[in-house]
This record gives sequence, structure tokens and C-alpha cells, in this order.
Amino acid sequence: MAENRGGANGGPQYNPANVSGTGGAGQSGNYTGFAYGQNQTVNNQRIEGNQAMASAQAATPSAPASPYEGINMPQLGTLFDPTTRPDEPITAGVDFGPGPGSEALSRSVVANTRIDENAKIAQQYLPDLAMAARSPNAPDSFKRFVNYLIENSQGSNTNG
Amino acid sequence: MADVAWMPGSLFDNIDKFANSLGYQNAGIVMELSMISWKSPEERDAFIVSVTGQGAQGGTEKNYIKRNF
Repeated sequence: MAENRGGANGGPQYNPANVSGTGGAGQSGNYTGFAYGQNQTVNNQRIEGNQAMASAQAATPSAPASPYEGINMPQLGTLFDPTTRPDEPITAGVDFGPGPGSEALSRSVVANTRIDENAKIAQQYLPDLAMAARSPNAPDSFKRFVNYLIENSQGSNTNG
Repeated sequence: MADVAWMPGSLFDNIDKFANSLGYQNAGIVMELSMISWKSPEERDAFIVSVTGQGAQGGTEKNYIKRNF
């Protein structure tokens, strides 16, 4: 059986058109072929230029990947997660249950949007709620709630 | 004939309980909480107690259909 070892492997070194961009300087990246005494000068300039570019790129500020990077924000939980503020009643800031009511909130938070919100709720659900309220099994408390929505179905927003 | 619309834990039952426990003026919260798929009326009422500090309001027992377990 004939052995098939050695010989040319067809690599780029066998291509007569394969010309080194660095003038045959291999992997060092040094330029050669300039006039006597100039090769060193040219290569020093190349090294200094590369260092200057590297320092300039390092100094350029880049946008963070996330706009909140570096801000230590707690992860949002769900409605049923245990409270992260055990000393504060869960109803603090609302007008029912223990804790301070809405008077404890800042003015920017207490803008009462419930009137318009209730009007939207009424427009969206009143037909079904009214039908349920006409059921002989409907509790009086439910009928009172439906009547409240009917009375407040107009809201305060006259724009729509 | 049983009225399934008023079975304990039904949507309308939830609305009744949340509306009368949290206040009619909180209709938005009432509707959102009523649409949650509560595991049982007891769990729903326990949530109301934890939020309001009082038992669930609304409805009367005579209006509801007794469940058969």
C-alpha cells in the first residue's frame, strides 16, 4: 500500500500571488523595506500611533447597556409576595384599613382620578352588572353598588 | 333553580364582596380584584380581611346558594 505522507498540503504558502502586507515581516507587524535607518523610525511611529488610538478609545465614554445600570433597584414582586415593609400596614395611603390614609400622600400622588375611572368602569360593565342586579338572587348590597355606578357614570371628564 | 351567577366565588359574588368591603368609590380596584381567579371564596375573604382588617362585607347568606361538598 502506497504511503501518502509529506509533500505539499496546498496551504497559502504555495500560492505565488500570496503577498505579505507587511513586506514579509511575519507576525511581528514591523514594516521593512524602507531606506536604511528609516525602518526603525517608521515602526516606532506605528507603535506610538497604536498606543494613542488605544488610549483615546479607552477614554471615550460609552452608553451603558441599561439606562438603570448602577442603580440598585429592588426586583418587583407580585401581589401575593410577602411585604418588603413589614412595619407599614398594607393599607397605608388608602382610605380604608389600618395605617395613615390618603392625607399622608404627597399632593402629586393624591390627584383624584377615581371619578373618571369609575365612569369608565360604569360604561364598560354597567350593562352586565345591571342585568345581574335584576336577578332575584342579587343581594341588596350589589344593587346599591350598581346604583352607585349608574349615578356616577357621567364622571367629571367632559372631553369624552 | 340554582342561579350560578351568584354562587360563592362567582364573578358577581366577588364584585359584591369587594365593592362593599373596599368601598364603592374604589370601583377600579373592585373590578380588578374581582376578576382574579381566587382559589376559593375563603381565600378571597382572607385577602379582604388582611387588607381591611374586617370581615368581607356585602351580601347576605340567604342570597347565596349553599355549596354541596
